[in-house]
Parts: sequence; C-alpha cells; structure tokens
Amino acid sequence: MIRFDHVSKTYPGGVEAVRDLSLEVAEGETVVLLGTSGSGKTTTMKMVNRLIDMTTGRILIDGTDVKAQDPIGLRRRIGYAIQHIGLFPHMTIGQNIGVVPQLLQWPKEHIAERVDNLLAMVGLQPEEFRDRYPVQLSGGQRQRVGVARALAADPPIVLMDEPFGALDPITREELQNEFLALESEIRKTIIFVTHDVFEAAKMGDRIALLDAGRLQQLATPADLVESPANEFVDQFLGQHRFQLSLLTRRVRSVMPAAEVRLEKPAIGDRLRATDTLIEALDAFKKTAASALPVHDRTGYLGDLTKRHLLAAITEVLGEAGGAP
Amino acid sequence: MNTVLSFFRKLGPEMLRRTYEHTFLVFFAMAIAAAIALPLGIYLARTRRRRVVSAVLGAAGVIQTVPSLALISFIVLLFALVALPTIGTLPALVALVLYALLPILRNTYTGIRQVDPSVVEVATGMGMKPIQILFSVELPLSLPVIMAGVRISTVWTIGIATLCGLIGAGGLGDLILKGLRSIQMDYLVAGTVPAAVLAVTADWLLGRLERWLTPEGIRESHHSRVEGE
Repeated sequence: MIRFDHVSKTYPGGVEAVRDLSLEVAEGETVVLLGTSGSGKTTTMKMVNRLIDMTTGRILIDGTDVKAQDPIGLRRRIGYAIQHIGLFPHMTIGQNIGVVPQLLQWPKEHIAERVDNLLAMVGLQPEEFRDRYPVQLSGGQRQRVGVARALAADPPIVLMDEPFGALDPITREELQNEFLALESEIRKTIIFVTHDVFEAAKMGDRIALLDAGRLQQLATPADLVESPANEFVDQFLGQHRFQLSLLTRRVRSVMPAAEVRLEKPAIGDRLRATDTLIEALDAFKKTAASALPVHDRTGYLGDLTKRHLLAAITEVLGEAGGAP
Repeated sequence: MNTVLSFFRKLGPEMLRRTYEHTFLVFFAMAIAAAIALPLGIYLARTRRRRVVSAVLGAAGVIQTVPSLALISFIVLLFALVALPTIGTLPALVALVLYALLPILRNTYTGIRQVDPSVVEVATGMGMKPIQILFSVELPLSLPVIMAGVRISTVWTIGIATLCGLIGAGGLGDLILKGLRSIQMDYLVAGTVPAAVLAVTADWLLGRLERWLTPEGIRESHHSRVEGE
C-alpha cells in the first residue's frame, strides 16, 4: 500500500508542482494520475521512487517512509516504465530485461529463466527476441520490452509514466488490452500516469484527477463520470462524457431485472456482467442475435436484448447532454 | 633499383630509429593526454557548474588556436624561466599533450551529453548507482564519439610531433630538419614518408579498435535492419 500524506513539492524558483496531496493506493490497485501537462502528475509519481524528493509531507510504502530508505534499494523494489521506454541500445533485449535482477545479483540461470518467462508473458517469442537489439524492434515491441523490464524483479509496486503514449492508436489499444489481461493475473500495485482520459478510464481502478498540483477528485472511473466533484472535473471530462459513460458503465448496471431467467442457454456468444456498454455494443455488431446471455463469476444472469442495450445507450446520451 | 637500395643503405637505420622515437613520443603524449582528458571530460559532462564547463573547454580551445611552432617556443621559454630542461623529450611531451587534449576532452564531454536522457532516467529509476550508470550506460553509449576524438587527436599529434625535432626531442622531424638545412631531398623523404605512414596506420588501427569496442547494438549496420510490427 502506498500512502501520500499531505505531500507538496515546490521547485527551486517557487513553482508549486504538487500541493498538499493526500491519497492512498491499495494493495493490488491501479490508480491513474490524470491531468494535463503541468498538473503535477509526473512529479507525484516520481516522488514515490525518489527521482524527485518532496518538499513537505510523507509518502509511506507499507508504513515505511520512503525518505527513510536508501533510494537505490527503494528503486530496485519498484518497477519503472516510461513513455520514451529508454531501452539500453547497447544491450540485447534479454540484457535489458535482466538489468534489475542483475543489480540484485540473482544467479545467472535464474535471470535467463525469468527473461524468457517475461518475454513470453508480453507476447514476444523468447528464442526470437532474446538476443536482438532494441534498434531491430518496432515501437510496439520495444514498449512490450519496456513493460517486461519494469516487471523483471517481480516488484510489488510498478510506476508507469504514459507507457503507451508514444504508440499509434491501434498498437496502443492492443497493448492496453494485453496489459489489463496481464495485470489481472499478476496483481501489482500500480501508479499509472496519463493525460488521456480514455486511457485513464480503461486502465484505472480509480482515477486521481489533478490540476495545477491539486487533487480535484479521486474516484472510480464510473463515479468520476457520473458525479464530478466540481466544475473543473466536469469541464475536463467535457465533450467526452458520452463516450466515457459507455466505457465505464457495465452491462450489469443496465440489466433489466425482469428478464432474468434461470435455465442455461446454449453455448455461443455471451457477455460478461463486467463488460462495458461499448464492449456489449461491439459484441452485438458481430452477431445476428437480438439478445445475448450475460454471465458473471457465479454464472448465468439473464439475457440482454439489443433493443434494451440501445435504449440504455440513448439514455446515457440524454444524460450526457446530447440530443436523444 | 640502385637508388632505392642506396637510399635505404644510407638512411634506413636512422629512419627506423627516428620512427621509433617518433612513435614513442606520440604514444606517451597520447597516453598522458587521455589520462587527463577522459576523467576531466566525464567530470565536465556531469557537473552542474556551467561556468567551469565553459572555462575549461574555452581554455582548451584557446591552446588549440596557438600555432604549434609558437606553442613549442613558449614552452621552451617558460621552461628556461623555471630552470627546467629546454631541450629533449620533456618540453616536447608537454607541448604535444597540450595539443592532444582538446579533441579528446571535447568529444568525451559531447559524447556523454548526447546520451539519450530518457535512458539515463530509466537507469536511475531502476536503481543503478551513478557509477554503474557511468560505466554500463553512459560510457558504452558515448564510446564511438570519444574514440573519434582520440583518433583525430592522434593523427594531429603525429604531424605536430615532427616539429619537436627543433628542440632536440628526436623523432622524424629531425630527419626533415636535416634535409631542410643541407638541402637534401632524400632526408626530407626519409622523414616525411614514415610520418605519413604512421598517421595512416594509427588512424586505421584506432578505427579497428573503435569498431571492436563499440557495443554491437549501436553499430551503424544495425540501423538498416529495423523491422516492422
């Protein structure tokens, strides 16, 4: 668990990058720091691994003040991935991923094994990529290596500064989805920095919206969209509100109670209760069926008809201020 | 054929000896210059004191602009003032070292400065110590630039070292001077050709060394092998 306790950062020259920030990131949670450039989001993240030292306040990791820890040791226990990736061009992909394990003096065979596992985990064939150099990889492949490198020593905490920011939209979405799938397996405590509100809604368990160094709202993506805390949040989401609602509302929330039936339908296309409305819409695009069965972890919940889904979406559009 | 044979019979041994002296002089001058310029360049690249950086690079640049003949003369006069030997290897070595400094110093400085800042940031963020960043990230990545400085410097120094014949430091300049004073072409040739051969050979050898030292991932040939998604 990471706890920010009245943290402020004033740069020499008087610029207040972060002002009196208090928030908690629970074990296994992903908190997205969202904001425009100059909002203090990157400064906030970098204070965790002490790339930047705070002026006042405390940051506690599992109860221990980061300032009481040796920064070198602290950083080796925290994964770090950035937008510019920063792969070491003179090292092979394998050596790049193995940097932190090497610093921690893991045995050689152990490092080699870990590197291969990680490459496979981020969807790169170990035999093919292990001995290549960064220049021989595409942008998307490099970013995967960057993520693998951040996870190399299996750190409980990972800091990610716009890790998918430099990619084209298609590759970015691909990597976001893969990372979400990966993340659900490895359960890390993640602080994720982005300026992209859609990325924030997609990746975050909670979003911390920052402006001019102040925390404006800390909420789940759905809560942020449904009930903005102040005018700034409202304006920040602005014209994206409708799309954001579709991205954050779950199928479960629009399931009509009356249509729940208990017999199991035949195997075929199905929806998960945790799917977003946009995902449900996509599913209907791919099928001729007028209704799809919805499941959650415990089993079959009922059918969602296309008509009902569209009605729910129209309602969202109405709430978002557009013409229904 | 006969002229060639008699040329070597007459001047061969002296050519060999002078070439040896010349190589010796240049080698030591380069070793000392590198021992000064490399650490100094690293320091300049890492210090936040902009003033120190411009002062040191500026001073090295000024030394470079003094004509080599004048620099050697100054050193001789200076040595005479403080009662140090004014002829022989010592003043020659000092002049050569001063000349050889700038290219190595400047290239070490620029080489390290041009390392991608995000690479250094990630290295720090992953928990590398400053000394580890220097030796396993910054120096390997700036090596081609640093080595280019060493090459330029060496080739210059081989040429300038011929002037050291003037102050009795030996070397190939001695043969050239003899040729000049006695108006004998064969002495001139015996001094000039080996100096040129030395320069070309040193450049080639250092080029090989540079290629051998440059980490595989940043060699030019790789850039043409970028593959698509």
